[in-house]
Amino acid sequence: MNLSLGSRRLTVESRPVASRTVRFLAPTFSVALAFVIGALILLATGQDPVLAYTEMIRKGFLGRLAITGTLIIATPLIFTGLAAVVAFRMKVWNIGAEGQFILGAVASSGVGLWVGDQVGGPAGIVLMLVAGALAGALFAALAALPRAYLNTDEVISTLMLNFVALGIMNYLIFSSFSFWRDPGRATFPVGKFVEDVLLLPRMVGRLHVGLIIALAFTVIIWWALRYTKWGFEVMVTGDSPRAALYSGMRVDRKILSVLMVSGALAGLGGGIEVGGVLGNLDPRALSLGVGFTGIVVAALARLSPFGVIPVAILVASFSNAAPGLQVLGIPSEIVILLEGILFLCIVAGEWFLRNAIRVERMAGPAGAEAPAS
Amino acid sequence: MNESVLLLSLASAVVIGTPILLAGLGEMMTEHSGVMNLGIEGMLLGGGVVGFWMSTQQASLPLAMAVGAVVGALFALIHAYLAVTLRVNQIVSGLALVVTGTGFASFVGSLNDSALIYSRPVSKFEPVFGEAMRDLPLVGPLVLGHDWVVYMSWVLVAVAAFWLFRTRAGLAVRAVGEDPATADTVGISVGLTRYVYTMIGGAGAGMGGTYLMAGIFSTYQHGISAGLGWIAFALVIFAGWRPWRALVAAYVFGALRNLGFSLQIVGVDIPPDVLNVFPFFLTIVALMIISARPAAARRFSAPSALSVPYSRETR
Amino acid sequence: MAESVPEVPSGEAARLTGITKHFFGVAANEDVDFDLRWGEIHALLGENGAGKSTLCSVLAGLYHPDSGEIHLDGEPVDLSSPHQALDHGVGMVYQHFRLVDRFTVAENLTLGHPETGFFTSRRSLERQVGELGRRYGLEVSPQAAVWQLSVGEQQRVEILKLLYRGVRILILDEPTAVLTPQESQNLFHTLRALADDGQAIIFVTHKLDEVMAVADRVTVLRDGRKVGAMPTSEADPATLARMMVGRDLSVPERPRTAPGEPVLSIKGVTAEGDRGLEAIRDVEIEVRASQIVGVAGVAGNGQRELAEVVTGLRRPKRGQIIMGGVDITRSSTLDRIKLGLGFVPEDRMRTGMAGGLPLAANLALKAYRQPPLSRGPVLSKQAVEYRARTLEKQFDIRGVRGALPTSLLSGGNIQRAILARELSAQPRVLVAAAPTRGLDVAAIQAIRQLLIEEAEAGTAILMISEDLEEILDLSDEVIVLYEGQVMGRLPRDRADPDLLGMLMAGRTVDAA
Repeated sequence: MNLSLGSRRLTVESRPVASRTVRFLAPTFSVALAFVIGALILLATGQDPVLAYTEMIRKGFLGRLAITGTLIIATPLIFTGLAAVVAFRMKVWNIGAEGQFILGAVASSGVGLWVGDQVGGPAGIVLMLVAGALAGALFAALAALPRAYLNTDEVISTLMLNFVALGIMNYLIFSSFSFWRDPGRATFPVGKFVEDVLLLPRMVGRLHVGLIIALAFTVIIWWALRYTKWGFEVMVTGDSPRAALYSGMRVDRKILSVLMVSGALAGLGGGIEVGGVLGNLDPRALSLGVGFTGIVVAALARLSPFGVIPVAILVASFSNAAPGLQVLGIPSEIVILLEGILFLCIVAGEWFLRNAIRVERMAGPAGAEAPAS
Repeated sequence: MNESVLLLSLASAVVIGTPILLAGLGEMMTEHSGVMNLGIEGMLLGGGVVGFWMSTQQASLPLAMAVGAVVGALFALIHAYLAVTLRVNQIVSGLALVVTGTGFASFVGSLNDSALIYSRPVSKFEPVFGEAMRDLPLVGPLVLGHDWVVYMSWVLVAVAAFWLFRTRAGLAVRAVGEDPATADTVGISVGLTRYVYTMIGGAGAGMGGTYLMAGIFSTYQHGISAGLGWIAFALVIFAGWRPWRALVAAYVFGALRNLGFSLQIVGVDIPPDVLNVFPFFLTIVALMIISARPAAARRFSAPSALSVPYSRETR
Repeated sequence: MAESVPEVPSGEAARLTGITKHFFGVAANEDVDFDLRWGEIHALLGENGAGKSTLCSVLAGLYHPDSGEIHLDGEPVDLSSPHQALDHGVGMVYQHFRLVDRFTVAENLTLGHPETGFFTSRRSLERQVGELGRRYGLEVSPQAAVWQLSVGEQQRVEILKLLYRGVRILILDEPTAVLTPQESQNLFHTLRALADDGQAIIFVTHKLDEVMAVADRVTVLRDGRKVGAMPTSEADPATLARMMVGRDLSVPERPRTAPGEPVLSIKGVTAEGDRGLEAIRDVEIEVRASQIVGVAGVAGNGQRELAEVVTGLRRPKRGQIIMGGVDITRSSTLDRIKLGLGFVPEDRMRTGMAGGLPLAANLALKAYRQPPLSRGPVLSKQAVEYRARTLEKQFDIRGVRGALPTSLLSGGNIQRAILARELSAQPRVLVAAAPTRGLDVAAIQAIRQLLIEEAEAGTAILMISEDLEEILDLSDEVIVLYEGQVMGRLPRDRADPDLLGMLMAGRTVDAA
C-alpha cells in the first residue's frame, strides 16, 4: 500500500516481528489516546476530566479498600480472559465464556446447596469449584462436538449458547421455585445462600482466595501452553492445521480439548464468583458481560496468560471507581464508555505491531507515481 | 376472549419484532459484504439514545429516526475502519463496539442527573390507518393497526430483497462477500463496498434502537435493549441471510418475547425466561441442521468470506 | 462441427515482442517473441516453470512486463490490469476459475459484464447465453449454481463469461489439467468452432497429444525463452518432446547398493481427489530398501493424491498399502510415523512447516512425542532447543534467528530443515514430493546428496517429482503417472528424456 503526500511517499509494509520499542509504544500510545478522547467527551459535557481521572486512580488503586475491591472485580475477568487465551491461541473462537461462566455459577451453587455443611468446608469448596469447571467444560462441549465433527461454526454456536445459559439461570431464580431459589422470598426472588463454611476464605478485607486460584491457573495455563506436548500441539494446530495433520496430530480432538479447557476455566470463574463474592446464584450480579469483556481482555493481552492479569486489573479498576465518580457528580457510566474507547484504541494500535510505515522521499515530481494497490 | 388475547399478542409481536427486524436487516446487508459486526447491541443503544433524545427535543419522529440511523452508522464506521482497513479480528472489534455503544448510551442517559430517563418523546407514533380500517376483524389489528415504522420496515425488506438478489449492485455486494478476489478482478472495490454496507448495518441498528425507545417504550432506561441486538444477530443466521425470511423470523422472535403473558391467560404456563431462550436455541438448531446437510449449507449458510479480511497481497 | 482443415488464418491478432519479466531477480520470461493470428488455435508448449503462464499473464494484463511490447490488431497497447485487457478483448481462463461458487451461471455472467443494466434481467441474458451455448457447444443451464456443476461445466461457464463480455482473444491456461478425456474432447470441439468463427485462441499445455490434436501452430518455451515455433503440420511428437525437455542430461554415477527387501508396497490403489473424481487408479508401486523409485509425471496427474494415500491423509477406495510387512491401509498418520514413515511434502510452507512458528518447534514436530524432547506430558524446551541447534549444525541450516517465524528462512534452508526433521527420525520409508522445486543450484545439489546418502543407508525412498533431470539423476526405477495411472515403469538404464517425455504426455510406448 502506498500513499503519496507531496514529495514524500508513505509505504506500509507488514513486518514479521515488532521491536521491543514498538511493542511497548503502541499500547502506551493507544491508552493515552483513549484517555484523551475520554477527556474531550468529559469536557464537552461540562465535566472536569482531571477530577474524574484522579478519582478513578484513587478509587481504583489507592488504599486497601480500593485495591482489594479492584482485585475482587478482576478475578472473574482473569478466568474468562484465560478461557479466551486458550481457545484463541488455536484460532478456535470461543465467544461463549459468558454462558460457560454462568453455568459454572449455576452448577457450583447447586452443588453447594446440595452438600450443605455435610462434608465440611474445604471438601465442599473443592466440590463446588470442580462442579463449576465441569459444567463450563460440558457446556462448551455442546459447541465443540458439532465444530469438531460437523464443522459447525463455533463463533455462532458459542455466542448463541450464552443466551441459553442466561435463560437457564433466570428461569431457576425468577420463573420457577427451583432448588436454587430462596422459597422465603416470593415477591423479590433471590437465590438461596450456601452454608458459610462453603464460602472461599478471605485474605485481606473482602478479598478472597479466588484471586490466588486465578493466579495459579494463569501459571498453569502459561506452563501448559509452553511446556507440555498438549500446548505444543495447540500451537502447531493454531498456526497450520495441515502441518499438524501431517505430523500425526488429531486436529478434531484438539478442538474438543481446547474448547473444553476454555469452558472449564470460564466455569471455574463462575464457581469462584459464587463461592467468593455472592454466596448464591444471583442473576443480576452474574450477567454483567464478564465473558465478553474477557475476550477483549485476552485480545489486549495479546493472548499472553500473564498479560491477562494487568489488563483485567486495569479494566476492573474502572468498574471499582465508578461509584466514587457518582459521588462527585460525574456520571459513573463514563467508565463503561471509557472502557469501550480504550478497547477500540488498543485494538487499533495492534495494527502498528504488524505493519511498519516508512516515509520515503520520492525522486520524481509529486504524484508521479500512481497511488495504486 | 382467548382469541382476542392471542390476536393482541400477535399484533404486539409485530411491534416488538420491528426493531429486531430493522437491526437484523442491517446486519444482513453488512454480512452480505463479508463483514461480521457483533456490535449491534452497541450501535442500537448508541444510535437509539441519540434518536430518542431528538424525539424529546421537539424533533419530528422521522427526523429522530434519521438521526438515530446516522449515529448508528457512525458507530459502524469505527468497526469498518478496524475490520476493513486495519484488518483486526472482527469478533474483538465488534465486542469492543458493544461496550462502547452501551457505555455511550448509559453516559448520555446519565447526563444532567439522568434528565433523559425522565424525558418523554414530544409526539407519538400514530397508527397510519383510520379507526374504521383498524377495527376490521383479523387484518385490522394484525396488518392495518400499525404505525409507519412497521410499514417502512416492510418496504425495507422488499427493497433489500430486490436490491440484493435482483440488481447489479446487489450482485456486486454478494460477490464481495463470497469471493472478494473474484470481485476485485472484475473491478469492484472490495474496501469501499464493505465500508458502505457496514454503515448500512449501523443505520439499521440505530433506527431499531430509536424505535424501541421513542416508539415502543417511550422512555430511555439503562439496558433497555435487553439483548435485542443479539437477537438481531441470531435473526440473520436463522433467516439464512434472506430478507423475506427475516421478516417472518423477526415476528416469531418478537412473539416469543411476549407470548408468555398471553399464554398464561389462556392457561398455558411457559415462563418468559424459557421463551426468551427460544430465538437463540432455534438458531443453534437451524445452524446444526444446515451444517449437517451440505445441500442446505450451500444455500442458507453465511457468505463464504464472512469475517475474513481481504488484502490483494495475500490473494 | 468442422473437423476438417480450418480456413487459412488471416490477419494478426496479437504480437508480443521482446517480453522480459523477472520475479525477484529470477527470469520467468527472457526476450520472448510471440504472435497470434485470427482464426487459429496456437498451442504454447513447455514444462512446468518454462514461462508459459507468465507470458499469458502478460497478455492478460495480470503482469506488467519489465520490457517488451504488446500489439493488438496492429496497435501498440499498454495492459495494466485484467480489466483493461478485457476491454481490449483479451481474456484468460485461469487454472483456478474466477467464479463465485454460490452464484448461478447467470449471476456470474452478469458480474463479469460491466455493461449489463442496473437490474439483472434474466431473459435477455438467457437468450444470449443460449445462443452462444448452442453455437459453440457450451450448453449450461443459466439457473444452475456454479458449485453444482462439474469441473468441465465450470470451465464452459468461464469461457462463456469471456465470450459474453466480447472477448476475441481467448487464453486457456492448462485447460485440460482438470478435465476427463471426454471433457477434453468436448473442449477441443468448442475451441475449433470458435477458431472457425475467427477468434484467436492460445492453448497452454504440456501434453504433446493435445498439441497435435487441436493446435494449428505451436510455440515451445523452455527456461523462460522461446525455443521455436512451427505449424503443427510440420511438427512431430518426438521433435516437440526434445524441444520441450531439451537439455543434455548428465547422469552422474552414484554408488549403488543392491536393493534389499520390499519395504513399501502399494497394491492396486485407487483413490478419489478433492472433486470426487478418481485421481489415482489401480496404482502398483514397490519400493525396496536402499532403492529410490522416482514417480515422474506432469503436475495434476495424481501425484498429490498418491502422496496423501501413502501418508494416511486420504483413504483409498480400493487397494492395499503395506509397509515393512504391516498392512497400513487403514492406519492413522501417527501409526505410520511410528512404523517409520517419513514425508517431505510438496507444500513446504503450510504442510511441511508451521510457517509462523520458530524453527526449533518445526524441527520437533515429530520427535516431540518421545524422550528426550518430552517425558510424559511435559515438553523439555531445553531439549527442543538443543536438538534444533544440533540439527542446524548437522544439516547446515542457515539464517536461523531465535524465535523468528520459520517462513522467513530461504526455501533451501526450509527444505534442509524438513529433511533434517524427517531423516533424524531414521525412517524406513521416505516419501519426498518435489524435493528441490524452486531451489537454487547449490541447495538442489545438497538436497539430492542427502537423499542419495539416505538411500545408501538403507531407506526406501519414493520420490515424486515433475523435474525429469532430478528423476533421472536419482532414481533406480522410474514410474510415470499419467491421469492417475501408471503409464510405464522403466529401470534407470532404460529411462531417457525422450521416452519419459512421451510417456508423461500420455503416449504409450511399445518399448515400455
